[in-house]
Amino acid sequence: MPAAAAGGHQLPLYPESPFEGTMFSWISNSMIMVWLAAVIIILFCRAATKKLSLVPTGVQNFAEWLVESLYNFFENILGTHLVKRTFWFFGATFLLILTVNYLGLIPGVGTIGNTDPVSGHFKGLLRGGNADLNMTAAMSLTFFGLWLYWSFTEIGVKNFFAHIFAPKGEFSGFMKVGMIVMFFVVGFLEVLSILIRPIALSFRLFGNIYGGEQTLEGLMGLVPKWLAFLPAFPFYFMELLVGLVQALVFTLLCAVFVKLMCDHGEEEH
Amino acid sequence: MVTKALAVGLAALGGGIGIGILGSKAAEATGRNPGAATPILVTSIIFAALIEGLFILAAFAVNYN
Repeated sequence: MPAAAAGGHQLPLYPESPFEGTMFSWISNSMIMVWLAAVIIILFCRAATKKLSLVPTGVQNFAEWLVESLYNFFENILGTHLVKRTFWFFGATFLLILTVNYLGLIPGVGTIGNTDPVSGHFKGLLRGGNADLNMTAAMSLTFFGLWLYWSFTEIGVKNFFAHIFAPKGEFSGFMKVGMIVMFFVVGFLEVLSILIRPIALSFRLFGNIYGGEQTLEGLMGLVPKWLAFLPAFPFYFMELLVGLVQALVFTLLCAVFVKLMCDHGEEEH
Repeated sequence: MVTKALAVGLAALGGGIGIGILGSKAAEATGRNPGAATPILVTSIIFAALIEGLFILAAFAVNYN
């Protein structure tokens, strides 16, 4: 994973393009990683559904178990109605993030590449997909758009703003006026916390994965090259855990945000 | 600059204390009611994520400007 060439070299904050100068300079090394993960997931799904049998065996059994356990997990968070609408996004995001995280840990991801003879700057051909703020921001903003769409369709625009700004609880007389003003101001705080969510989601995932890769890179530099694998060895297991937890956390928070806004729909039905 | 390192250090301190308290309470709750281990796990993961998110925001906010 880390560059054996220049041990302990700094993993640049922004992904670079291995096709610099050519027509494809817009393809960055982390984009290749994400496409790779997508191809792997697609092949896995096709393999699982090649010959569907009632009593699933082998790949199909594993795929069914995976999807079913994810579905049940999100069902007891979101409730049956909501999970039907939203599971396609949460399941897919969880699998994509998990696959990208674990693909990023395969040795050789950050090490295969070319060293620019002039500046001696090492440029990896591949780089962890989530160690790239564009990728995590893309997922968070997609979720934010979907969250708005689901909230509007689920509880209607009026309820959406009522949920944010309207006073909660019954008050009478003068107290009511005070409450209305107070909750109106609190509404703006709510709007602020809603807008911070995509930022927090993207930075959390990016920070954890990029920080992990940075640690591995840095540790490699502490020891002579032939021993470079030893200090980073225990951190690989931490990265495995962090990869899983961050995938779970990202989708779990998205599910909770949807539930917070859309849950009132069920009470009124 | 000292202030940058100090800011990130304090953010990490806050995150550490937060996760510590969260962990101890989660352990207590699971001990008191082992049957509810999964919901406790889900809740504590959510709040651990929020605490970590805050720390990472602080760490990146400091380094970016």
